[in-house]
Amino acid sequence: MENRLMQVGYGNVAKVSIGGKYPLVFIGGPCAIESRDHAFKLAEQIGEICQRVDIPWIYKSCYDKDCRSSPKSFHGIGLDEGLRILSEVREEFKVPVVSDFSDSSWGPETGEVCDMVQVPAYLCRQTSILRAAALTKRPILLKKGQYMSPWNMKNSVRKIESFGGDQILLTDRGTFLGYNMLVNDMRCFPIMGETGYPVCFDATHSIQLPTSMGNISGGQREYIPHLVRAAVGCGINALFMETHDDPENALSDANTVLDIQYLENILGQAKAVHQMRLELLEKYGEDNVHPEK
Amino acid sequence: MYIQKNNTTLVQEVMLSIDSFPILRETVIFKEALEEMGTARLGIVCIVNEEKKLIAILTDGDIRRKLLKVQKPFSAFFVDDVLKHSIQSPITVGPKESLLDAVMIMEEKKVWDLPVVDNEGVLVGLLHLHPAVKALLGVEK
Repeated sequence: MENRLMQVGYGNVAKVSIGGKYPLVFIGGPCAIESRDHAFKLAEQIGEICQRVDIPWIYKSCYDKDCRSSPKSFHGIGLDEGLRILSEVREEFKVPVVSDFSDSSWGPETGEVCDMVQVPAYLCRQTSILRAAALTKRPILLKKGQYMSPWNMKNSVRKIESFGGDQILLTDRGTFLGYNMLVNDMRCFPIMGETGYPVCFDATHSIQLPTSMGNISGGQREYIPHLVRAAVGCGINALFMETHDDPENALSDANTVLDIQYLENILGQAKAVHQMRLELLEKYGEDNVHPEK
Repeated sequence: MYIQKNNTTLVQEVMLSIDSFPILRETVIFKEALEEMGTARLGIVCIVNEEKKLIAILTDGDIRRKLLKVQKPFSAFFVDDVLKHSIQSPITVGPKESLLDAVMIMEEKKVWDLPVVDNEGVLVGLLHLHPAVKALLGVEK
């Protein structure tokens, strides 16, 4: 299957190309938009790190967290306020932004502001959401549901295509291994890549232990570097990591977000492994061991 | 028994018309192709592109051989693009070729069906062995 490349960013923000032999792209930011000040603070800090590492970046933050375990958990800042803040982040930092949306009626407004729209993992086979995402005409970040096989993601891809969408970033965020436990099957990158679309690894959700703390999710952040190196070496086009300056007090995903103090370390390693993989492809050619006959 | 050679009948007189055998687009998944083959009760599907040009075929025999080779789970096998498991550049005949020649090709290649394509490569029919033999024997349809 030919490589389908995507470009994220409209208007006067940086244009980020994803796929093929383009550089590894970082997609990250605080899980939830907590306030305008916090969003700006993180955008500034992450922006500086990405500049030092020299890695293309898309700012990710969500205005509504509809999949929280508890009704008492922070649900989000809301559609209008959230999109206003994302719009200001775009303008101020000239960075493309992505947010998920979990209700199809929010699609048009989300697509109007965001450079990329994200389909949440739990909803990855929900026709109405996939349709709403395609109708925005923006590139789509499509998470693989924790309950989905990588090959069955093709059904979601075909749904998006049937509604006119043609830019999809297939993203692994882990697969359920029994209850409250996720694992990463590294085969999912070449398998999802068979669709021709670029693939992405979501490191911070992959180390999540879903609802392991009774009414919230836990996580094993110590494994982020190992999984990132493995996924980038396996062959991905983008790396997704939620990042926070004060994880303990983060309003969403406090047990999984990456402390920003480690971001430069991880991104530096990821970039190096990605670069090495491209060099290996140059030297040895595309992976073609025992092709299926 | 002596059967006189029938050299006058053309493929187009005997072939199945394009609405009577399964024709699929290349983006269809493998499982849908199997369903079509079952519904049509034929051991072949023809795969065409947007311009209705024949690009591949999938037959019972191809599937049997694949079952012994493909190591992935059925759920993964089923969602593969049908094209991945099909024979690309299949043997074909033209509509104005003689039926006898076409059946000789079937014998030589050990196949039960031959897609019929025009000069542009557009699929126009399917020659199935049973009606072909009946026509050669002079048996009424």
